[in-house]
Amino acid sequence: MKFTLNFIKEFFDPKEKPSCIAEKLTLAGIEVESLTEENDDWIFQIEVTSNRADLLSIFGLANEIAAVLGKQLKIKIPSPKLPPLDINLFVEDKKDCPLYIASIIKGIKVRKTPSWLKERLLNCGINSVNCVVDIGNYSMLKWGHPLHIFDLDKIEGDIFIRRAKDKESFLGLDNKERELSPSNLVIADNKKVIALAGIIGGENSCVDENTRNILIETAIFSPLVIRKSRQNAGVSTESSYRFERKVFLRLLEATLSSTINLILELCGGDFVGGKKVGRIIPSSRRIKANLSSLERHLGVKLPLKEVKEILKNLGCQVSLKSKDTIEVKPPFFRDDLKEEVDIFEEVARIRGYDKLPSKIPFILPQKDNFDFLVSLKEFLVRLGLKEIITYSIVARDDLETLGEKNFIRIINPLRKEEDCLRTSLLLGMISVVKYNLNQQNEVGEFFEVAHLYQKKNSHFEEKPFLGIGVAGKDPSYIKAYVEELLKFLNISNYRFEDVSLRNFTNALQIFKEDKVLGFLGKLDKKIRESFQLKKELFFAQLNLSLLEEERKEKQFKPFSFYPKVSRDISLAKRKDIPFKNIAKIIEDNVKELLEGFEIIDIYQGEKIPQEFMGITLRIHYRSLQKTLEAEEVDFLHNQLRKKLEEKEGIFLR
Amino acid sequence: MEEKIVNLEKEARGRIEGVKTAKELEELRIYYLGRKSFINQLFSSLPDLEKEKKAYLGKLLNSVKKKITEWIEKKRREFEEREEKVDFTFPAPELNLGKRHIIGQVMEEICKIFKRLGFQIVEGGEIEDEWHNFSALNIPLEHPSRDVFDTFYLDIPSSEEGRYLLRSHTSPSQIRVMEKRTPPLAVISPGRVYRPDNPDASHSFMFHQIEGFCVDKEINFSHLKGVLYHFAWEFFSSQIKLRFRPHYFPFTEPSAEVDISCIICGGKGSKDGEKCSVCKGKGWLEILGCGMIHPKVLKNCGINPKKFRGFAFGMGVERIAMLKYRIADIRLFFENDLRFLNQFG
Repeated sequence: MKFTLNFIKEFFDPKEKPSCIAEKLTLAGIEVESLTEENDDWIFQIEVTSNRADLLSIFGLANEIAAVLGKQLKIKIPSPKLPPLDINLFVEDKKDCPLYIASIIKGIKVRKTPSWLKERLLNCGINSVNCVVDIGNYSMLKWGHPLHIFDLDKIEGDIFIRRAKDKESFLGLDNKERELSPSNLVIADNKKVIALAGIIGGENSCVDENTRNILIETAIFSPLVIRKSRQNAGVSTESSYRFERKVFLRLLEATLSSTINLILELCGGDFVGGKKVGRIIPSSRRIKANLSSLERHLGVKLPLKEVKEILKNLGCQVSLKSKDTIEVKPPFFRDDLKEEVDIFEEVARIRGYDKLPSKIPFILPQKDNFDFLVSLKEFLVRLGLKEIITYSIVARDDLETLGEKNFIRIINPLRKEEDCLRTSLLLGMISVVKYNLNQQNEVGEFFEVAHLYQKKNSHFEEKPFLGIGVAGKDPSYIKAYVEELLKFLNISNYRFEDVSLRNFTNALQIFKEDKVLGFLGKLDKKIRESFQLKKELFFAQLNLSLLEEERKEKQFKPFSFYPKVSRDISLAKRKDIPFKNIAKIIEDNVKELLEGFEIIDIYQGEKIPQEFMGITLRIHYRSLQKTLEAEEVDFLHNQLRKKLEEKEGIFLR
Repeated sequence: MEEKIVNLEKEARGRIEGVKTAKELEELRIYYLGRKSFINQLFSSLPDLEKEKKAYLGKLLNSVKKKITEWIEKKRREFEEREEKVDFTFPAPELNLGKRHIIGQVMEEICKIFKRLGFQIVEGGEIEDEWHNFSALNIPLEHPSRDVFDTFYLDIPSSEEGRYLLRSHTSPSQIRVMEKRTPPLAVISPGRVYRPDNPDASHSFMFHQIEGFCVDKEINFSHLKGVLYHFAWEFFSSQIKLRFRPHYFPFTEPSAEVDISCIICGGKGSKDGEKCSVCKGKGWLEILGCGMIHPKVLKNCGINPKKFRGFAFGMGVERIAMLKYRIADIRLFFENDLRFLNQFG
């Protein structure tokens, strides 16, 4: 909203500098976004919050500025005398239009708009059209109530305030043809729609240079109806903006009075009279405000005198109900003041929030899972992974490519193609790897912690997950990351089980007892190709709530102080035998003295049959109780060799 | 003979000084001090001399031999040190480090500041219903104040708490906690929020917010101020000034927007004689919205507003990260370009 200092001066002359007024307004909650000097006037661009309909007029702003400057303004509000008028007005539904006043002036001449009036409008951001329309806009700016002026001679027959018929067409003053629906409220005559009520006038009934007789419409329309109607028509105007917020009967009268008087003054003509349909009973409320509550709310004790003065300057009537309680009657234009806390806010904001004290409350800390999440992410970073954040809203096509089902859809998406909530962190991972490859960045390993969403029994499920992706690296990394993480969380006795998963060439499911913690796998070539991903991708997805549930506090485990004895085994296994079979034989046979084993060499070549793979293992033996004798280890180790050799598909080398 | 010895010393000194490699030095050592060296030959000829001359020349020879030995040793050590030296002007290898995402990091940093004051972190869900996203927060379903809360609706069958949607702010978490628990409460809720804004440099349909609130018997506006001062001073710097500007939110009364003095121009509005581009010459940057929780909101959650009061605040994480790290385009956060990710964390 724009207003100017000269316009304010039509009500009162603040002696303070414009920059001082701007500063005080901002600190009272009317943020001045810019202040510029133009044509001997100061233009204020302000932000009006949606609760302050009163600030959409110079009248309201003058009151506010006065209060902010510590003054009280008493503005006389004009109201017109309306000689009865003989026209037919039909209001279809009083809920849509509780009040409609049609006033008629005859015999005017649409003269040139005087320059002072033009300037007022221009400085407030409204273009001059013609003298009559300009007077209407000026009055609206000054008093805040929107109005519309028709060329009386273009109206055929009676006037109807009704809902539009389906597909009824309407050409607005903005020169746009619109197809209306019953959600639009219109003003019509016997033959046509002449205005989109409260929003915009029609081309077919507008005032032009040749207009002689006019009908001034001042009405009150339902804010909700106007809101729906303008959303449906896809247009927002100064008029609809005000109707949607709140309009006031007394300001309607002031606006009408100002319009009639100015037209008579500047365009001549005779005021014939007005016809009013409907009635508005202005509500008045009294709010009790308790001073000790005020203190408890703001944290500071304020003297009664100061509270009273602030409220009076704002136009409230204040009376003392008891030693501690005042009764406040807000001015008619402040219907946003409804209850005690609203009064507290008025006092606080006019006095200045900066004048209130600052304290730190005492809060007893309580447990949460924040540290778990932080430590988990920090750990993944220690593993060398990079955290990513990708969109939760994804393309349906992509989900369907992955064969996902039961995904939740957005009814009103921004883009038709992207209207689903993701059911897997894979899509984000693919997109990041792909993006970075396209940018010729060296890709590596990533993780994301985010929610996944799914429909479930006509309801939904939303759960946090961890996704890990490794691109362009050895397959063993993905498992290493998962295992290191489980070790970090001190989740022991988990097991991997082969699983066939859609979209993965092969995969392992991670179990803890009967709970599936997650999976890891290699992304299927076909999927890779359909997403045009140029590198292999290894991916793991883990259920965060389960990880949190299963994690355990760490406890010190004793280790041996006796020397370690290591022995190597060179063997060959048929390629289709998984390594875990060998691991199991080792664990089952030398368990008590086994400290661990490692693969020190893998060989594939002429020295062994083609369908075999050579592996050299180093087994580490160590006892917690004593120094191991060589014979003891050799005995055990030889037993292990025998067991391995006995297995079909394995031979020692 | 004496002259020969003196010349030898002179010559040796020059040659040792000029030697370039360890190998050359070794050759010189053999030449001057080896078994067949001139010095050794002279030594062996000493017994033939007169007693006095013998003593004198013996002394002289010994001192020359000692000097040469020292020079060679000194040179040898020089070479050895040269060998040990590392050329640190070589470029360092690139280490592959893990990185936190800057948004994750900023969120965590903010949460930690409040946690130190005793706040508890509670993450809420992102799928919400109209009651929790709007009505309970005193936002009427059809009202201009809803315009800033345009929302994605979901195809999940509605419940008695209205249609399902993607939360447009983190405030529903506040409602959920208050519905479930009884004061005293002090909770921070970080998380993703969604609004149907077309993406551009300053808009994203998904972004992050941090919501905080505190409810107890004697909580008042001064506590709100104190807590936010604490936050801003810890997060930005203790040089920063704060401005509490009255504002309107349906869920708080009184409400305020909080500005910090511009971190670029120091609140002056200009830098190096030009209008500050970050605060647009205002000297202030808006960082969050806050206020005393509206009694209706408390009541909606089953908390007696006569007995309890509370404050609440909310901030956009991207906006704060953009200000602090001078990131000009919000889309950078979600592209996850490694050249971006690697700059932070």
